[in-house]
Amino acid sequence: MKEFDPKIVAFCCNWCSYAGADLAGVSRMQYPPNVRIIKVMCSGRIDPLFVLMSFLEGADAVLVTGCHIGDCHYIDANHKTKNRFEFLKEMIAELGIGEERLRLEWISATEGEKFADMVKETVEKIKKMGPSPLSPKVMQ
Amino acid sequence: MKGCFIAWATDDATRKRGGSGGFVSAALAAALDNNLVDNVLVLKKTSPYKATPIVTNDPKEVLECAGSLHFVSVNMAKYVPPGRVALPAKPCDAMGVIERAKRGQLDLDEVYMLGLNCGGSLHPKKAKKMVEEMYNLDPDNVIGEDILKGELILKTADGEKALKIDDLEEKGYGRRESCRYCETNIPRMADLACGNWGLPVDKLGKTTFVEVITNKGEEIFKNAVDTGYVEFEPASDKAIELRDKIDNVMKGLAEKWHKRLFEPIEKLSDSERLAFYVDALNRCIGCGACRKACPVCTCGDSAKCLIEGDSNYKIPLFLMVRLLHLMDSCIGCGRCEDVCPAGIPLTLIHRRFAERMQNKLGYVPGINLDKPPYFEGELREDS
Repeated sequence: MKEFDPKIVAFCCNWCSYAGADLAGVSRMQYPPNVRIIKVMCSGRIDPLFVLMSFLEGADAVLVTGCHIGDCHYIDANHKTKNRFEFLKEMIAELGIGEERLRLEWISATEGEKFADMVKETVEKIKKMGPSPLSPKVMQ
Repeated sequence: MKGCFIAWATDDATRKRGGSGGFVSAALAAALDNNLVDNVLVLKKTSPYKATPIVTNDPKEVLECAGSLHFVSVNMAKYVPPGRVALPAKPCDAMGVIERAKRGQLDLDEVYMLGLNCGGSLHPKKAKKMVEEMYNLDPDNVIGEDILKGELILKTADGEKALKIDDLEEKGYGRRESCRYCETNIPRMADLACGNWGLPVDKLGKTTFVEVITNKGEEIFKNAVDTGYVEFEPASDKAIELRDKIDNVMKGLAEKWHKRLFEPIEKLSDSERLAFYVDALNRCIGCGACRKACPVCTCGDSAKCLIEGDSNYKIPLFLMVRLLHLMDSCIGCGRCEDVCPAGIPLTLIHRRFAERMQNKLGYVPGINLDKPPYFEGELREDS
């Protein structure tokens, strides 16, 4: 049987975490190809709906990334990200699909390594956990 | 003039018609009469099982609406008209009004809430069935009902019949599920809190126990007395004590019911809980009745929950968004479950999600305007 290949959605903000991911790329850091990066202008643009839909469409994990608190290019928008994340985290926990499937990480433009490590860690963890039970393809 | 009083309507007909003393109806009529408010929002009873919320400026019509009404489930918050208005409010009505005020739907300074102590209401359909099967009466013959000392009393032309609510609930009838575990029985967030709890036996059914809580409440109470609609005497310490005692007993019962209803879900493992949610929520036919009935929902036509998801989603996107959106603001009024044509235990599920978040935030919705809704409030404070 083919090994389970997790699908991971990562939301990255234009100014920090996407640049971080870019740095990981140009520095030729190795990280698993399971992650699909979606670039948004700011982590504050990540509507909770995006995250819920990712899970319902079959994502095994969702990574929400943005600039460090205080570094946001839109002054304080990542405070909103954090606030929304708290709600999402509780919701995912209550639904019982595993809190580890949702992760918030602040990544600056210089932290290419942090981005690569985060993806590596997540893929390892999700491989152990198996596919998301909310994914429409999982047969019961 | 804040504090506790025992009051009654001076008009004998109103006093008799009213659930207990007719104070609320008389005070509402007095407020209209003296131009304290432009309109009054009341429930007009068309049968013991049906009532329609009406907005009126006719004191006579208000007085006609007097009387206890346990077999209907309506949340008044969504019907509050603009302008100065007074309404009788169960705790969940009052909480709904405050949540709507937080969302800019109404001006709380213009809304006078005459709170009603509430031990719970019954779903009209279930009540009809209950009258047939438990009371052996024809539902259409029932002319009145009241709840007193844990007993539900039905009045027919031939006389009265009383059964214990506990027994009814053991058999699956009785109060709506959300009322059973509701711990807010005295609406202390309203302007007045009225009811029959705490009254001495000889005054039961003839007078109303009134607690004046806010300045607006004082205004309403004074106006009712000054216009001669209402007479009052101060409540004795014994009466106040008795009322608190009843409140505590009700709270204790609610806690027991909460445990009974929520523990089975608490005990489930993660995957079993998910299976329960998927199973229940997937029955959704997407009619949107819960959204229409929900007193807290204010997004309107551009609401995020109206975005259509794919049909192969395990849980409809509509409900996913609603679950998230109500995590901080669900007041647990039970309207969503009442109106759901698919029979999803919506209130129970919403409460599971909301209690988790509200406990974490240390936030109770529908109590006052001090804290804005957390989700949106944080945004407003920052920007």
